[in-house]
Amino acid sequence: MNHSSASRPDLPSAQRKCVLVVEDEILIRMMLSDELRDAGFQVIEASDADEALTFLGSMVPDIIISDVRMPGSIDGLGLLGVVRKTLPKLPVIITSAHLQAVDVSDGATRFIAKPYRLESLVRIIRAEVNQPE
Amino acid sequence: MNADPSADASLQAILIVDGDIVSRHVIADYLRHCGYAVVEAANTDEALVALGEPTLSIDVILCDVSALGSRDGFELATWVRTNRPELEVRLAGGVEMAADAAADLCENGPHLARPYEPEAVVDYIKRLRASRLT
Repeated sequence: MNHSSASRPDLPSAQRKCVLVVEDEILIRMMLSDELRDAGFQVIEASDADEALTFLGSMVPDIIISDVRMPGSIDGLGLLGVVRKTLPKLPVIITSAHLQAVDVSDGATRFIAKPYRLESLVRIIRAEVNQPE
Repeated sequence: MNADPSADASLQAILIVDGDIVSRHVIADYLRHCGYAVVEAANTDEALVALGEPTLSIDVILCDVSALGSRDGFELATWVRTNRPELEVRLAGGVEMAADAAADLCENGPHLARPYEPEAVVDYIKRLRASRLT
């Protein structure tokens, strides 16, 4: 994870790939985050796109996974649009139970329909950030 | 949940309620490093969802007094003391208080040691807030 000028006091976790999870339903966010931590990732939890953008103002994760429909000033697709302007190569996974697909022509975006299997999602994230099992 | 198997079975999970993602994440990370399982809530409504989930075993709530939601931090604490008196509630009026509370929980918790000083937590949060990507 790129921390800009800030150095983390917890050195071991600084070596792990970092996932920013953006999901407004706390229980889903918690389950996914716990699964990712168990798989060896460092996880940042954002409850909506506004929180995600606040976090991205200070640090860049290795990958973002975001729901689409969330409260706040922008939704997941709006977050994707903002991220693509400044971080065109940052892997982003968009999840949704309501969309059929998302434009993935930028090469760094993937779409996964809900409901998804946690193990499958973790495998996809590992592949996207080149983290071995 | 990510509970350390060596953790004290009587005190395992902390619910942190804080609307500031930076301080919430850093404090939660700190608590995880000393062995706690941590649930992160961005506001008091999320906290109530977590508290209502029967599969979650929460022992302590660390809540920012200015947390948003249908209840503020004080009101959440009152609700918990009325409806879930077995839970310990710690209110924090800012990053320094939250870091001190987290350090105290770590000293009395699973590993009986702080991973690093609370001042480092506060400093790190302040630097993150001040940093901007180039």
